[in-house]
Amino acid sequence: MENEFFHVKILTTGEEILCRKGESLLAAMGRLGRRGIPAGCLGGGCGICKIHVQSGHGVAIGPVSRAHVSDEEEKSGYTLACRFSAMSDLTVSVVGKFRKPFLKGFGNGL
Amino acid sequence: MGVMRIGHASIKVMDVDAAVKHYENVLGMKVTMRDKSGNVYMKCWDEWDKYSLILTPSDRAGLNHVAYKVENDSDLDIFRKRVEDYGVKTELLPEGDLPSTGRMLKFHLPSGHEMRLYAMKECIGTDVGSLNPDPWPDDIRGAGAHWLDHALLICELNPEKGINRVADNTRFVMECLDFHLSEQVMVGPGRDIQAATWLFRTSTPHDIAFVGGTGNGLHHIAFFLDDWADVLKAADVMAKNKVRVDVSPTRHGITRGTTIYFFDPSGNRNETFAGLGYLAQPDRPVITWTEDQLGRGIFYHAGELVPSFTEVYT
Repeated sequence: MENEFFHVKILTTGEEILCRKGESLLAAMGRLGRRGIPAGCLGGGCGICKIHVQSGHGVAIGPVSRAHVSDEEEKSGYTLACRFSAMSDLTVSVVGKFRKPFLKGFGNGL
Repeated sequence: MGVMRIGHASIKVMDVDAAVKHYENVLGMKVTMRDKSGNVYMKCWDEWDKYSLILTPSDRAGLNHVAYKVENDSDLDIFRKRVEDYGVKTELLPEGDLPSTGRMLKFHLPSGHEMRLYAMKECIGTDVGSLNPDPWPDDIRGAGAHWLDHALLICELNPEKGINRVADNTRFVMECLDFHLSEQVMVGPGRDIQAATWLFRTSTPHDIAFVGGTGNGLHHIAFFLDDWADVLKAADVMAKNKVRVDVSPTRHGITRGTTIYFFDPSGNRNETFAGLGYLAQPDRPVITWTEDQLGRGIFYHAGELVPSFTEVYT
């Protein structure tokens, strides 16, 4: 694996990270201990790390669940951060978020 | 007469080869069959029927259906009438619709999840056989899961809209399929919203479970291990295989089980669950957990909920 790095700006949180060529965006965040993109299953299946690539380009490094990213969305730059690796400097916004937690918030924790 | 145990789970995977490697190397399952559509059938060493897991190639992750084995073929006709009388439509699938499997009663739970019942599946024996058997086979791989133990389904819960598919499913499986309630989580200002339930037909704390969430999905499928030492070893196996672990070894307050949660390569959550917990019996008083103690109920040691555990599912 080459030691090539790309600058990635996360618009939603204002963070800037370095993503190694071939490494997924989510793995790069994890490597740096950042939490700006929610991390779930890391397998492209749960949709929690959904992002929108605003500028730059990258490559898919595995299948992305069509339940969370449709064909049209993918063509418009939507993808999952666990399955996307930078091939140039990027700017992305975070679309995915943790859903309302199950069982909580119904009785104010009582 | 009646439902005996969980028979199999059919799940969607986006990369079949990666999924097979995961269930082989991490859980210790073996492939017993592949069909013309590319579906792969797998079984654990201590199971005697031909398969307990079906991997189906798909463009997404999640559950296709969960199936429970009943004692007699004639039970399917009895259950068909009970389910239809309850108001739920059924379909009888012929023998061979799934290979090596007899006819199946197919229907959808109130939550929308597909469930099937069947009486016949080809018996190929456990890996230690039935004649003067050893307690375990020599070729155990990975965590060496004994059997598929249960499934936990996410069901829509929205009290403001008056939607509680957890309660609907619970009432359905109790009234139509004779499941018994072992534990429940009650929330809301009046503690009267049934937000999660654990139900059994065997004498273990749960063969199926329902938990409230924003939609309909699969929270996890669980595989059985004997004890805490096996759980620790399973965690080592996961580390060796670079598996994404959701929750590292701990104990549940609910069911008393010791556990690890992790993900398969498509993001379907698995559990390795150890211990028989307690003797589940129809006359055992139902255990209730309240919202304020939910952390302890799910993670007994830490006493806190983990965002990925409660909010990530396929």
